[in-house]
Amino acid sequence: MNARLQSMIDAARREWDESRVSGREQINVCMDTSSVARGANETLAALKTSAQRLGLKIDIGVTGTWGFCWMEPTVTVRSAAGTRTVLYANVTADRVEEFLQTTIVEQRDMAELALGVVEGNSTPEVPLLSDHPFMKGQIRRVMANIGLIDPENIDHYLANSGYEGFGKALEMDAEAIVKEMLDSGLGGRAGGGFPAGRKWDFLRNATAEPRYLVCNADEGDPGAWVNRVLMEGDPQLIIEGMLIAALAAHASIGYIYIRYEYPLCIERMQKAVNQAYDRGLLGKDVLGSGLDFELIVFKGAGSYVCGEETGLIASVDGYRGMPRIKPPFPAQAGLWNKPTNVNNVESYANAPMIMRNGAQWWTSVSTAKEKGTKMFTFSGNVNWAGCIEIPFGPTVRHALEQWAGGMRDGRPCKGFQPGGPLSGVVSGNELDLTLTLDPYRERGLFLGGGGIVFFDDTACTLDLCKYFLAFCEDESCARCTTCHGGTQRAVEIIRRIQQGGGREADIDNFEQLVRTLVWSNCFHGQFAMTTIKTALKAFRDEWDEHIIEKRCRAGVCEGLIQYVVRSQGDTALPAAKEICPTGAIVEERGTYSIDDGLCIRCGACKELAPAAIEIRDRIARRVAAGAAAGGA
Amino acid sequence: MPAEPTTQELRALVAEFEPEKGHVLPALHKVQEQYGYISRKAIEIVARQLNTTPALIYGAVSFYSDFRTHPPAATEISWCSGPACRLLGGDRIREAMQQTLELPLGGQSGDHRYGLHLGQCNGTCSEAPQVWVNGKVTGNLTVASAIRLAREVKGAE
Repeated sequence: MNARLQSMIDAARREWDESRVSGREQINVCMDTSSVARGANETLAALKTSAQRLGLKIDIGVTGTWGFCWMEPTVTVRSAAGTRTVLYANVTADRVEEFLQTTIVEQRDMAELALGVVEGNSTPEVPLLSDHPFMKGQIRRVMANIGLIDPENIDHYLANSGYEGFGKALEMDAEAIVKEMLDSGLGGRAGGGFPAGRKWDFLRNATAEPRYLVCNADEGDPGAWVNRVLMEGDPQLIIEGMLIAALAAHASIGYIYIRYEYPLCIERMQKAVNQAYDRGLLGKDVLGSGLDFELIVFKGAGSYVCGEETGLIASVDGYRGMPRIKPPFPAQAGLWNKPTNVNNVESYANAPMIMRNGAQWWTSVSTAKEKGTKMFTFSGNVNWAGCIEIPFGPTVRHALEQWAGGMRDGRPCKGFQPGGPLSGVVSGNELDLTLTLDPYRERGLFLGGGGIVFFDDTACTLDLCKYFLAFCEDESCARCTTCHGGTQRAVEIIRRIQQGGGREADIDNFEQLVRTLVWSNCFHGQFAMTTIKTALKAFRDEWDEHIIEKRCRAGVCEGLIQYVVRSQGDTALPAAKEICPTGAIVEERGTYSIDDGLCIRCGACKELAPAAIEIRDRIARRVAAGAAAGGA
Repeated sequence: MPAEPTTQELRALVAEFEPEKGHVLPALHKVQEQYGYISRKAIEIVARQLNTTPALIYGAVSFYSDFRTHPPAATEISWCSGPACRLLGGDRIREAMQQTLELPLGGQSGDHRYGLHLGQCNGTCSEAPQVWVNGKVTGNLTVASAIRLAREVKGAE
């Protein structure tokens, strides 16, 4: 091991060990975007003021997330003797006084908020955290430190195996590092699955200088936040991964491209990069090894196609982030036309472990073809919107029940989106598909970066398609007519169907778009129609209902439904009238009615007067009545 | 509202940036962080500083959703357009807020007191459906609570 690195690690470990037996209780608050959204800033402030008021001598720190995003703020309490740590959920500021009184003053577990015991003995009221259903079956490798270390303290990382992989890589030649990566079989974690080792090898064999590394942290798939969890929870891990890649590919400059929607990631990555520079882990002659590696945190500005590697490169260059045709691939002509390697955050984050423990250890975790672990986030109509890390391979059904807490209100799962607005939709009849790459590829979809969105029968298939196609239209760079014009056309047709103007030829119109958009230059256009293509297969009867019967079974499509007052005299009707944002609810001598021309179908009235207001078919009913009259 | 920055101020602000170094977005971010938006004058000055044309700089400004060419309103409501929000009534919330505020997405009131625009999912999906009021999450909305929020924002003096 490099002597300077070894002494840095030794010092960090000593400090860490001492802090763990300080004789004071240690309270750590999860501070990430999800927990801040649920009041973690207020919790942290309340802990500090309450501790002072109660005269408690405790250490208060921060960590990344344990993944229980729907129960933030989460807080760990470590005993003064350092022998027992308990994780608590929903520790909001208003509970803090009581929380400190119980856990610190009275030295008792606060069972009603406890999720589990992280280390030490469990009790009948507080079981082990590893026995919590959300934690069962998870294997946390890239997430190993998250929740335990302060993401803004490089010494915490160094004390917990940090930079050991880089230390090993420093003793290997570039070819050997690439071989280890290839042996691991690590595939691109953004969904492509392309072997990272091969990409690194392309760059290693490039002839021009300088060579660039890019970390793609433009996690733009709505409903995916796995990269955010990594950057906010353990940013040094990503820097170490990039350093290993720099050694393997002789790269001298790196960029971490982070979407502007992730301000805390940008802040934490920048702090981490600054600390790494201060320690000589970045810059000229890293740790005296001869490696020069500059690393720049680059803030995006709001563009989904910048997640496509050539779009990202154009964006760093300073142009509109428009993807271009490949080849040439970035390994030949990337940033400033120099050889460039682009990997996802989670891909780089796996490299330190592969170096530290070897490819064989790394691959042993998964029995699937895809090796290693993968992070996923779950959202939509599920009970638990959280973040997990598991070996590839469980079924979607298992994931839904085990880690997403099942569907809300016990409703059936109508379907799911496996990974972003380009990935398509899968019917709820196919929940036995595994979380591996092939089943989706075989069906013309793909498993994306890890954000899985489940939907129930309150969702209208056409409305979902409109949403995802409108997203693709909005985010199209407009280089290709197929994509730019095609997505626009698809949205127009869906809107017309939703207004009641569906035509039988519309299915052919969509199929025509499916056939032509694949000619687009980049992934965005090529996959923009995947949602409609797969939804036409999975939910064909619903399309026919909308187009032919003019009926929306979910009661969503504005032109096909009508809000009506069904029972007069309901005491909630005045409130419903008051809330209506368009004045569509009219009252005349105690009788309420809804002016259909003014009604925007927002449903506020039905929220307040659920028994008095109902959604009816607007056209289908008349068509049916007309047919009945005609038949009589 | 901050006054329109002077040429001198803008030049000093972007003096550190250089051509051909990937400084277009960093320079634009710096201008917007300082003044809240990117003015016509700022586009010309950034172009000169980076030895390129205003057309190219404007091309970047207009491509990315974060960049504004007008000052933001005092209260900016970002409506989250993500799938979790959408599945839990987000689009009906958008319709109702637009009606209440009498604004399209991307619009702001004539007196610059409030504005409404489209935001992208940041993974706080446990709070869906949500909006961000000057960056702070207001989550678990119903359509009715969103209307009340919009009325409050609109009515506040």
